[in-house]
Amino acid sequence: MKLTRRTILAAACSAAVLAQPMAAAAQDLPRNVRLVIGSNSTGGDTYQAAAIVAEALSERLGVNIKVDAVGPSEAFKAVGRDKRGTTIMLHHDQSYLANLYGVPGNPDPFEGYVVGPSLTINPGNAYLVPKNSPYQTMDDVLNAAAEGTRVRVAIQPGGVSEIGYTALRNAARMNAAGSEENIVPVNTGSQSDKNQAMFDGLADIINGSIQANEQFAQLPDDDQKAMRFLWITATPEVLQQGPEAGVGNLTRADMLQYAAPQTSVKLTETEDFTFDKRFFLIYNKDMDPAQMQTVDDALAAIYQKGDIQKRMLEAFFIPAYLPMTESAELLKGKRDAYGAIIEALKAPQ
Amino acid sequence: MDFLQFLTPMYLFLIFSGTLVGIIFGAIPGMTATMAVAVCLPLTYSLGLDNGLALLLGLYVGGISGGLVPAILLGIPGTPSSITTCFDGYPMAQRGEGEKALRIGIISSLVGGLISLAALFLFAPALAEFAIKFSYVEKFLIILFALTVMAALSDNMLLGIFSGFLGIFVSLIGVYDVTEGGNGQYRLIPPGTEYWLEGGFSLLPVLIGLFGLATILEGAEAGMPKGQSLKDIKVGEHSRFRWSVFKGQVVNLVRSSSIGTFVGILPGVGGSAASILSYTAAKTASKDPDSFGKGNPAGIIASESGNNGLTGGALVPLLSLGIPGDSTTALLIGAFTLQGIQVGPLFIGNNPGTWDSMIVAMLLANLVMFGLMYFAIRWLAMVVAVPKHILFPVILMMCVIGAYTINYGIMFDVWTLLIFGIVGWLAPKLKLEIAPFIIGFILGPAAEIYFVKSLESFGTLSIFFTKSWIALLLWALIIGSVVGSAMLARRKAQGQGAAA
Repeated sequence: MKLTRRTILAAACSAAVLAQPMAAAAQDLPRNVRLVIGSNSTGGDTYQAAAIVAEALSERLGVNIKVDAVGPSEAFKAVGRDKRGTTIMLHHDQSYLANLYGVPGNPDPFEGYVVGPSLTINPGNAYLVPKNSPYQTMDDVLNAAAEGTRVRVAIQPGGVSEIGYTALRNAARMNAAGSEENIVPVNTGSQSDKNQAMFDGLADIINGSIQANEQFAQLPDDDQKAMRFLWITATPEVLQQGPEAGVGNLTRADMLQYAAPQTSVKLTETEDFTFDKRFFLIYNKDMDPAQMQTVDDALAAIYQKGDIQKRMLEAFFIPAYLPMTESAELLKGKRDAYGAIIEALKAPQ
Repeated sequence: MDFLQFLTPMYLFLIFSGTLVGIIFGAIPGMTATMAVAVCLPLTYSLGLDNGLALLLGLYVGGISGGLVPAILLGIPGTPSSITTCFDGYPMAQRGEGEKALRIGIISSLVGGLISLAALFLFAPALAEFAIKFSYVEKFLIILFALTVMAALSDNMLLGIFSGFLGIFVSLIGVYDVTEGGNGQYRLIPPGTEYWLEGGFSLLPVLIGLFGLATILEGAEAGMPKGQSLKDIKVGEHSRFRWSVFKGQVVNLVRSSSIGTFVGILPGVGGSAASILSYTAAKTASKDPDSFGKGNPAGIIASESGNNGLTGGALVPLLSLGIPGDSTTALLIGAFTLQGIQVGPLFIGNNPGTWDSMIVAMLLANLVMFGLMYFAIRWLAMVVAVPKHILFPVILMMCVIGAYTINYGIMFDVWTLLIFGIVGWLAPKLKLEIAPFIIGFILGPAAEIYFVKSLESFGTLSIFFTKSWIALLLWALIIGSVVGSAMLARRKAQGQGAAA
């Protein structure tokens, strides 16, 4: 085909007309948005939370939002590259915990990025023992460590899984200085690896979740796979907001028995350690603040309407919307508090 | 007749369309069953659980099966699990037996799929109980057994083993991933390349680079050959498919399907290991092992029944323990969680309707896969008749798109494709062997994780010999495979000496 000036001009005009919706008012999000998540799994809670939020935001803003499970490192890179608002990230407390624990590839989200609104809490983070374990309570675990027994805890290092382990070591140190050395990590990967470590007798305690492990707690005592909840890290206030029926055979009342204050893992002499796994958005630091405000406003309207809360509660998420400023402040406070525990444990007693 | 309640037009349509789309994904180099399931996962929320699973299971079966088409016709494995299909399928296609090879592969896929489905339906809870007896130690030994195929696939054993170890070395570049139980630290990354090499080289771009791009570069070097004409596709009597090709292969079919199912029930061992192990076992047991890799139908039977045997097997731990057996079934968990259903040890008992629906969907997906592929063979086989100056650019474009999309749009994966395309082109000139290299690359990360975890857990090397009777059995298989390969190499050397 011969390219004349007229043809080129016509093509340029057509392109400009087609591109118009993409470059609408500055505060509008692009028509196609990629929501990258800090997990490679589409079967986990991060994907589930992202799917719920993406659907609601998509409907509200009239844009297409695609959830991509790329994992934390690639998600940070993708958001870091894109200041147009085409790529935003959804992750949870692991985003700053991995940085605190010094896992490479995990930047500080409060430094190079903008921490956005909070969306929801998964209250399921839990620690379990085999059904025939001698440990009936967390006090048993701490006392065993104080008496010199090695307690092996299966975790995935560098994140949500490890923060409870860190808290356990902190409590052991408070209970009997030096006994924290008897709380040892068994580094595993996925939840199935942690379960397998328990089946093989390689771990005395495993990190898990109410959702993933509850059915194992229903198995008969003589089953090699049978487990028992020992500790749920969520705050009682958050658990109270969950459905009364709970998950499977574990009712809300049961859950509260395994959480503070009934099950106490001391943070200080007067305070229990608790951990709510909070999901929130992360933006490129140069993204147009008006676009961030658009998302905030849309989320406020979505939560005001109330449908998303029902959907979240059905999936055992606790709705927990906080606008961007409040969210960043709260999360920064959490980061500083957990950072202090991690640093304190590094220092010799 | 409860299962009839599932057979709604929508359910049947979703299985059909899922299988068809899965076959297309599997047949495009660089696109996989996992990718097909990932793309369609969000749709399942609106479809409901049973219909959503029908779609995803169709995609799963279709995606695993579709990989045999480019493996046989182009020598490019459409999916990692069809790597061993290339070894015998492509030589058959090159000598004008592409259609025959395709029919063998499709029938083997169906048999593998049905045997594994029967195992899933009849023995799921019992198999899951057995699976948890496999700790890091036994899993490492399984991977070690699969690695012994490196020796069997080598033209020159020393160079082959060196190439295999080079593949393992390259596979370990990158972060020791915490999600795999590692410590999150970088290793083997040249300074200054951390940004790109943090995640290491992705498998799919490496695979299609070595097998796809390298073939194109070799073609470019040799000058564009003329494409085969349609006359060449209408093969002679001697190369026409006959059912008699399966005579004497029943044991191979059942053994390979069982190996595939078995590998599927072991979480983390990986789908590619299923076909590699089946191929290794078939070659070791063969009276004519030397013919493997040169167009022996038994190699295709082993590979395809093995990788389709995985489909039912991988659902065993998923539905009995809530643990996915491979990367694709890991995505299936998403369909359950999006519907607010937890899979775990009580899932089958608590959800008999969903369980039945899944079994019916798997059965129908296998039959639809067979119908679609078997009767489309004549058209599929014509791919080789497309002139190379048209075919190669299309393959190149598909390879680039596949590499770019495999990790949701990472440009470094395209560079990986190009780098390993050049490596694949240079390898024969440097006497490196590609087949052992890729086997090492595929199995290296799992071997490392299980080896390190075994030592971390038990603290002594002797555990590999003393852990269990399963470990001893695996050692016997490893030794048998190594001795068999050594004897084969010796016979080959003696034969070459006599010929000289």
